[in-house]
Amino acid sequence: MFRIVLPVFVALLVAIVGGAWSVRYALDHGFGMDTLTVGPWQAYPDLGTPGASAYARAAVARRGELPLGRAEGLAFRAFEDGSGAPLERNCTYRIAGEMPTARFWTLYAVDPSMSPLPARGIRAAGLQSSAVLHETNGAVTVTASPNPTPGNWLALDGTGRMILVLGLYDTPIASATEISRVVLPRISKLGCG
Amino acid sequence: MTRLLYAIVVGLVGAGVVHAVVLLLLPHYSARDAWARLSGSADFYRFTRMSGEDEPPVIRGIDPFFDAVACRFDLSEGVVHVEAPGHVPFWSVSVYDRRGQNIYSLNDRAQTLGDLDLVLVTPSQMIELRKDVPKEFEKSVFVEADVGQGIIAVRSFVPDATWKQAVAGYLDNAQCTLR
Repeated sequence: MFRIVLPVFVALLVAIVGGAWSVRYALDHGFGMDTLTVGPWQAYPDLGTPGASAYARAAVARRGELPLGRAEGLAFRAFEDGSGAPLERNCTYRIAGEMPTARFWTLYAVDPSMSPLPARGIRAAGLQSSAVLHETNGAVTVTASPNPTPGNWLALDGTGRMILVLGLYDTPIASATEISRVVLPRISKLGCG
Repeated sequence: MTRLLYAIVVGLVGAGVVHAVVLLLLPHYSARDAWARLSGSADFYRFTRMSGEDEPPVIRGIDPFFDAVACRFDLSEGVVHVEAPGHVPFWSVSVYDRRGQNIYSLNDRAQTLGDLDLVLVTPSQMIELRKDVPKEFEKSVFVEADVGQGIIAVRSFVPDATWKQAVAGYLDNAQCTLR
């Protein structure tokens, strides 16, 4: 009796636990999504569209998000700096380079649950294109740091991991033809503490 | 021992089946997708804030430089008319189906007068409407969507704190009406 029940039980346990865990792991790690990767930045242009994969559909349902439509814009997320190290809230980063064509853009820091970092007084942990200093060639240099810095300061606060989000609004790169030629700013760590 | 190994192999094949089934059923049975979250905060045809200042957001991942509202609709009851008079730096509208898939989106450059005025219809309702366009729809943009229930989201850019009140007022005046 036991010799039959035990293998059946093991098979069922492996199937249910393994199946459920693998879905969770896949959705948490962006597996099976059509990812557009530019340096450390990632975007899912097909997320929430009829062309989305089964994984993308499940991820939308699980996260409870309403992804931006193509006429609205495209959001890039960076989890790591240019060297591959995870972004930390107590470190200083330089985000420099040219921004793609868009009517305007926003750059802000969020915690791993996608909630924006708290503001420091009147300084929100975010910047938008009409309120930053541009260089003469149109490039932008932003310093994300817990310490005040001259120029474009993105005020960080607290400790732990963070994600940088670059929202491009009313941008032609959201349409498929332009998508492979996107250039985004580089993220380099200047120091911590 | 071979019996147990055999059981594990069968289990792994079963895990693949469970993986596929969970993946395909998840969008249909998720209790915390956008639709479920919005149902908790407002009835059909009522715009509600997607993210607030202090309380936890209804919809996650909304840009902090944006103020955004959403309303749920059911096209089997009639056409949906979305209006928002006034001028703001940027607005955009997205239509989602019941599962949060984006069906259609447009932004303020698409409407010549700048005021948001959109009518959402099914293809068969469109045929009926073409025969005799009602006066209130004269300036509207018609969007055909072959969905039953769905969500309309209106987002508006808040460049800085001085715009906060104006944009909030603009979205408070937005109407999501069943016609």
